[in-house]
Amino acid sequence: MITASLMRRRSRMIVALLAIAIGATILSGLVTIYYDVPRQMGAEFRNYGANMIIAPVEEGFTDKAFEEGIACIADEDLVGATPYRYETVRIHEQPLMAAGTEFESAKKTSPYWLVDGDWPSSGFELMIGNNIAENLQIKPGETVSVRYEKESGDSEEVSNEVDFTVTGILSTGGSEEDYVYMALSDMEELTNEKGTLDLAELSVSGGSEKLNAYADKINSGAYGYDARLVKRVTASETTVLSKLQALVLLVTVIVLALTMICVATTMTAVVTERRREIGLRKAIGASDASIIKEFMGEGMMLGAVGGILGSFVGFLFAQAVSVNVFSSSISFRPLLVPITIIVSIAVTAIACLFPIRSATAVDPALVLKGE
Amino acid sequence: MFTRMIRGTLFRQWKKMIMIAFTIALGASLATAMLSVVLDVGDKVNQELKTYGANITVVPKSSSVLNDLYDMEGEGVGAYLREDELGKIKTIFWAFNIVDYAPFINVDASLPDGSPVTITGSWFNHHMELPTGEELDAGMNSLRSWWEIKDGKWIDEQAETDEKVAMIGSELAAREGLKAGDTMHLSGEAGEGDFLIVGVYEAGGEEDEHVYMQLNDAQELAGLDGCINSIEVSALTTPDNELAIKAAKDPGSLTVKQYETWYCTAYVSSICYQIQEVITDSVASPVRQVADSEGAILEKTKLLMVLITILSLIGAALGICNLVTASVMERSSEIGLMKAIGAQNGAVTGLVLTEIMLTAIVGGIFGFLAGIGFSQIIGHTVFNSAITIRPMVIPIVAVLVTIVTLAGSIPAIRMLLRLQPAEVLHGR
Repeated sequence: MITASLMRRRSRMIVALLAIAIGATILSGLVTIYYDVPRQMGAEFRNYGANMIIAPVEEGFTDKAFEEGIACIADEDLVGATPYRYETVRIHEQPLMAAGTEFESAKKTSPYWLVDGDWPSSGFELMIGNNIAENLQIKPGETVSVRYEKESGDSEEVSNEVDFTVTGILSTGGSEEDYVYMALSDMEELTNEKGTLDLAELSVSGGSEKLNAYADKINSGAYGYDARLVKRVTASETTVLSKLQALVLLVTVIVLALTMICVATTMTAVVTERRREIGLRKAIGASDASIIKEFMGEGMMLGAVGGILGSFVGFLFAQAVSVNVFSSSISFRPLLVPITIIVSIAVTAIACLFPIRSATAVDPALVLKGE
Repeated sequence: MFTRMIRGTLFRQWKKMIMIAFTIALGASLATAMLSVVLDVGDKVNQELKTYGANITVVPKSSSVLNDLYDMEGEGVGAYLREDELGKIKTIFWAFNIVDYAPFINVDASLPDGSPVTITGSWFNHHMELPTGEELDAGMNSLRSWWEIKDGKWIDEQAETDEKVAMIGSELAAREGLKAGDTMHLSGEAGEGDFLIVGVYEAGGEEDEHVYMQLNDAQELAGLDGCINSIEVSALTTPDNELAIKAAKDPGSLTVKQYETWYCTAYVSSICYQIQEVITDSVASPVRQVADSEGAILEKTKLLMVLITILSLIGAALGICNLVTASVMERSSEIGLMKAIGAQNGAVTGLVLTEIMLTAIVGGIFGFLAGIGFSQIIGHTVFNSAITIRPMVIPIVAVLVTIVTLAGSIPAIRMLLRLQPAEVLHGR
């Protein structure tokens, strides 16, 4: 009887189904986005660069200890880890601070670095800070000789001079513009000294609690260095991210509330229209209970179909948003499907209940007469 | 006759009409709220991102090359910016976008036991009354919002006290056994004095070893009256585009028209350029870490909100359209009857449309007002400030409601008009 009624009143049912499906789409789409925003936005905030610094307790630490410390952080949370080693070198007879690093990871921990030219990609290439470049009049593509001298102890003296090609000029607006950057392996060759590091920058995704936990874990390992959080980045990220999340939450709640009321009014309108039918059934002897059961069954079935349709379309929408905004795909939340369906059914049931009750409560003769 | 019929419908079928008006109001309020929020979200998030601190630093021209490289601090004339020019920053074209700034001077001093300590003089909550009549509290309190005050409080410049005050870093405090309320004797190159420690901060960097005090106290210690080393400026900026990148390299390479566009857009590079114009011998450069990331996050947030808005607008539009179609279809027998007694198609269409549009206008107005309310709820809850309602929201919502209502009713009316009155009345 329910299916027959659905088939007969096709156009009206399509209207109701469409309303429910729109509501369900918005529900599942927005909730999926809401849950995914912290993760996706958190990744955007990694643009601010390193949020954890590893600094030696005494003087320097070994690259082996560095790797062991990094292993404390889960792979999926570690955006990048860049080791740094600083030495004084001479270019054009000027004493300069040179930093040996791994450029591939530096790109990840310092995504805001603006390089005029190219990042060094092969051996014996240099990237120099903007201030140095201006002062020494060095342009990308030039070759400069870098000298390293060290008088360790009394007699032993290391003095090396190697030619480097300058590939790019670095501007950051910060102190990085006063450094010369070279690959760590090149620096080891230049200084004849391997395996030591002075500092490391880590970019780790996660809230401040997670970061503190990681820092404690690294510090408890006693690798000869301290892991510290960069307060400026972590504290500000927490503030801003919580605001953004609150924004999306509030928007979601308001949009959902309005949409659900909209669905309810549409359902109410569709059912109210059928007062005559209800009156007729009562007149030919149907009991109130059976009418309510039948109409509610019809409404809830529509709710279920609309919910299934909506949760599917909603996921597609959330996926489209994620790809467009964050260029990454969204994870499917299976739990959301039953929730969407249940909410759709509940909303339609509530929306149908009142008009049906008011229709069954009155005298069938009055309803049929159209009053 | 026409008005009487319409009045008849509106009064006799008021329940049904209220239902339609209510749904239209819901849709309109959704559209108004989302559009208002989306149009203002950029400014609001920009303001929030100010917690990351300054996005522009200004240093003296000669020092930008010499001092940092050769450690020539304190030597030579012209390596300082002038304190008396600070007010000019608030007179540039984009003065309104400059939300905060503070000067800094670094001074070397020593503690009574002879150990050296770095002192920075700055503004804390410096009160300024600008020539425009605007008032502004600028300084470190907001530019270093991530500092954690471990003990005591921030320096209050507006407090009326004769005592010289200072804040010290947590590591220095631990090493020297100092806490808030203690007095510390500092001697600089040109002066010395006792300072009351009002606060101990933890910055999570090398500042934890430093001492911060008011600008003129630090200048006195070093004998550098009216001199400052650098200025940090926090400005609301527009994310960079190709023009801005080109201009940042060399403003001279632009055509006159491009130059005007660039100068009159709040790009970080054009604000830097304008600061350089007012501060003698200065180099203003964007702090890429802050400026770049701001742009990225701002764009993502805006795009996210735009897409959510589009979804809710489509939802609202379909919802209204749907209900309007349903309510017109429902009136098939009425329309059939009117046709049967000789009404022209045009008259029938006009009647139904007028009724629906009247309902839509009433619903739309209520919805618009409710939508403004919703957007203010969002603004106050999330950002603790009101959302500015742009005038352009009104026509957008009006056009949207009109189009949606027409799109919902016209096809239904046309379909009903095509039917034979006899068939409709018969109930098929």
